[in-house]
Amino acid sequence: MESIGTKPPTTPVKVGVISCSGEDCLGGTISRLATRKILERIRLGEAVTICLPLFIAGGEEERAFAAVFPTITVDGCNKWCAKRATENLSGKVSDTVLVADIIGAEVAESAVLSTRNLTPEHMGMVDKVAEEIRVKLDRLADQNRR
Amino acid sequence: MSEKVKVVPCSGIGKVHGLLARELALKVANELCAEITETPCLAYIVTEDPEIKEKIARGKCVTIDGCPKMCAAKSVAHAGGDIAEEIKIIEILKNYRGVQPGNATALNDDGWKIVDEAALKVAARVQQVYEGEV
Repeated sequence: MESIGTKPPTTPVKVGVISCSGEDCLGGTISRLATRKILERIRLGEAVTICLPLFIAGGEEERAFAAVFPTITVDGCNKWCAKRATENLSGKVSDTVLVADIIGAEVAESAVLSTRNLTPEHMGMVDKVAEEIRVKLDRLADQNRR
Repeated sequence: MSEKVKVVPCSGIGKVHGLLARELALKVANELCAEITETPCLAYIVTEDPEIKEKIARGKCVTIDGCPKMCAAKSVAHAGGDIAEEIKIIEILKNYRGVQPGNATALNDDGWKIVDEAALKVAARVQQVYEGEV
């Protein structure tokens, strides 16, 4: 994970992506994997992230994340935990992705999945969610170019 | 004790330690101790919604943290949870010096071996917690 600097980003702007990574449903697994795919393959070096619970467990530097970076939250289900926690503890988010909107609420809220049991169908879901994140990330990067 | 033990991993997204914590929790809660455990979302706990705070306050919790930031333990404690055991991946990895378990996206065979072996110990501890031997 890239560390968070205290200075605002310079050109090209980096975009924050925060995943719920929920442990109770499939949507959490998909949100985590799609976010990882953005970070390490699709937009390597252009996206940064932070562990959501660091807003409580960390310090001021971590809580400043959404103020420093235009931020997209990725939520697995309709509880919107990543968005709500980020806005409560860090700052307003610039955009959101809801896995349940992309793969369907019933599927997203089905049993949580270990990465050991991923199927090609699940990887297809990850790809769809990652693409949605990419589109929104690129739009934000363009809007925030300095 | 009838209340299920809450197994709460950090699921840290930046390092393999977070994935190890997540997979260890899922192995324990979904396979080894499925009848006596549940895995409330840490993200939901972080929202501090009354519903999850009320749920966390019932029974005992076992947290699994990947790094020294101890996000799971701190968040559960902050929400009013009663933590019976704090599992630390860093401590587990001391038994596997030099082993590369994979990355934050996927574990390799060595990573799964660590998960499977550690899960047996954690499951035994969870059983003790459930039975009140804390």
